[in-house]
Amino acid sequence: MSDKPDKLITDDGLRLDGRRADEIRPMKIEIGVLSRADGSCYLEWGRNKILVGVFGPREAHPRRSQRADSAVIRYRYNMASFSVEDRARPGPSRRSIEISKVSREAFEPVIMAELFPKTAIDIFVEVLQADAGTRTAAINASSIALADAGIPMKGLITSCAFGKVDGQIVLDLNKDEDNYGDADFPVAMTQDGEITLVQMDGHLTPEEIKKGMELVKKGCKEILEIQQAVLRKKFATPVEDTEEEAAGTEKEGEKEESVPAPEAVQEAAVVEEAVKETEELGAEASEEPSAADVLSSEVIPDFDEELDEEIEEEFEAEEFEAEEEDEDLEDEDEAEEEEFEAESEDDLEDDLEDDLEEALEDEDEFEASFEGTPELKEFDEIEARLEKESVSIEAEEEIGLEPEAEEFVEEESSLEEESEVEETEAASEETIEPETEVEPKVETGEASTEAVEAEEEPEEEKSEGPWKVVKDPSEAGNRGEKDE
Amino acid sequence: MSEIIATLKKDYIYSLMVKGKRQDWRGFKDFRELKLETNIISKAEGSAKVTLGNTQVLVGVKLQKGTPFPDSQDEGVIITNLELNPIASPEYEPGPPREEAIEMARVVDRGIRESGAIDIKKLCITVGESVWIVFIDVHILNNDGNIIDASCLAAIAALMTTVVPNEQQGLGENVPLAMKEMPVGITLAKVGSKLMVDPSLDEEAVCETKLTIVSSSDGSVAGMQKMGSAPLSEAELFEAIDLALEKAAEIRELYLKGLAKSE
Repeated sequence: MSDKPDKLITDDGLRLDGRRADEIRPMKIEIGVLSRADGSCYLEWGRNKILVGVFGPREAHPRRSQRADSAVIRYRYNMASFSVEDRARPGPSRRSIEISKVSREAFEPVIMAELFPKTAIDIFVEVLQADAGTRTAAINASSIALADAGIPMKGLITSCAFGKVDGQIVLDLNKDEDNYGDADFPVAMTQDGEITLVQMDGHLTPEEIKKGMELVKKGCKEILEIQQAVLRKKFATPVEDTEEEAAGTEKEGEKEESVPAPEAVQEAAVVEEAVKETEELGAEASEEPSAADVLSSEVIPDFDEELDEEIEEEFEAEEFEAEEEDEDLEDEDEAEEEEFEAESEDDLEDDLEDDLEEALEDEDEFEASFEGTPELKEFDEIEARLEKESVSIEAEEEIGLEPEAEEFVEEESSLEEESEVEETEAASEETIEPETEVEPKVETGEASTEAVEAEEEPEEEKSEGPWKVVKDPSEAGNRGEKDE
Repeated sequence: MSEIIATLKKDYIYSLMVKGKRQDWRGFKDFRELKLETNIISKAEGSAKVTLGNTQVLVGVKLQKGTPFPDSQDEGVIITNLELNPIASPEYEPGPPREEAIEMARVVDRGIRESGAIDIKKLCITVGESVWIVFIDVHILNNDGNIIDASCLAAIAALMTTVVPNEQQGLGENVPLAMKEMPVGITLAKVGSKLMVDPSLDEEAVCETKLTIVSSSDGSVAGMQKMGSAPLSEAELFEAIDLALEKAAEIRELYLKGLAKSE
């Protein structure tokens, strides 16, 4: 153990490793490094070396650990005995058990575990070399490994810590700063800035925490870009290939790929998060993917919110015995109003409507406009299922209010019918998307130069995965092999 | 079983929440009835029992002579252990501590350690050879929700009444354990869009996520831990910090200031 340096931050404001207060250590990510794991990632962050393997969804053992309504997520953070200065005793320590727990909870909000009942999704983290910030590094790596395994997620999780060193708030502590600093504050967040992990020890005032959170947001944004770039690199499919493959079976895909819609690109650029992506898409950008891309990243939280609100609405409905249908409509309106990006989404919806006429026909409901895209249909299905669940619970509990519950069921079944219709209509699109997703699994490590198509891949990976796997996992696998 | 009950109760608790109410008609910022007793186990060097509603937590502090860690040769050692005693709930079973227990023990420990509550330099007997090891053992006797706040309070109260048994080791007179800080842990449960102080067992079972914030008397935060699977927005985080600091100050004033004076 080295002795405490006199100063952890030099007079010119640089830290011992030459970073400024708001800089993260250099990060290097490799994806798909383990052939037996369903998804894997090797990550170096400063002097941290982390290896993550993801297995599953697979049958959960022991059987009593299974959940009838969702997959069990298991996260094992393990430090190699040689990863630290003084040999660590092998096996779980109290520290690693705690880290495993909070890290698992950091992923629970985004992993769509409800799609895989009775299974387990195992995330195994091996810390090969530790140099402060291993839990955040492990979370960043796990996020990639989960995406590599094709586990459906609502978004990537990024994680970064801030701390206080020599009285200054700094981002991403290194070992010396961690040892001799005054505070350590690891945070994990979703792409939308929802916090899924918070821990803290040390001494910080509320003002310092506010300042630190700003740094963390900046750090997480940078990490997210690195993560997305890595995923794009692996899952990029050359545009020509997609077109060729699509051409045989797929009119829809051909149309999407070959007919650029410049006005849509412009409109998409309005949307905050999509700005960069749209720019990079450039001339070759096709309308449908850009719109879907934006929607997949932006609409998901809406649906969460909508779900939450619907749940609340339901309670209110119980309380006041009002008519649910009206409230649901109100609810949707509210969700639309409250969503700060609602405007830009509307634009995109319009684009979608133009483009996917056959999918949208006479629908005038808000929800219906989303069902045109496969990702969103998926969410409708989930939503419908969740609604159904809550209905059945209500039906059990509130016998007195049975008529209401029945109304819910009716509504629910009509929702399902709608989505089934969409399913068949959207079937044409369906065939093209699994290819973009499955193919990369066999083309491991092939660095594609087509950054254009890559823009969509990480998003599609996440949002399309569940949908495809739920429908026919075996078929998807075969397709991948054939492509090879 | 408890999971099923929780799902059924969720509707009820949420519908109350919408109306700004809680199951036991407390306000969102109110604690249940809180009672603190100290020096109840004479064999222990320090002890405290906290009764929070029906939740009962007993903390005993024992001091033993031991060797210091190689990287802190002139400092005493703090070891916190928390046991989810099977007596406390039908859900707890005998056996090695579960991750829940380990996590809570570490949160309690972090609050005491990071706030600098114990003057660990004064626990050194001979530099590099022998120091006092402070064992903080938290026994959950009855879990009716929010055992973590009860544990934090009982732990600091027990420490504040702890006497270092110098006589027993032939080291001179017994002296009170040197304390520097009074950390107080406050747990907030996020139910729907609301943050609730001191969640009851049912509220804990149905809440989306919990956030424990341990703060010191200077209004700074010494430890934090988010528990539970739902996300938290940044605004909620800051709201929680403000709320926790406010409640912690109240509890410190009401329950701990008196102990400090009586020393």
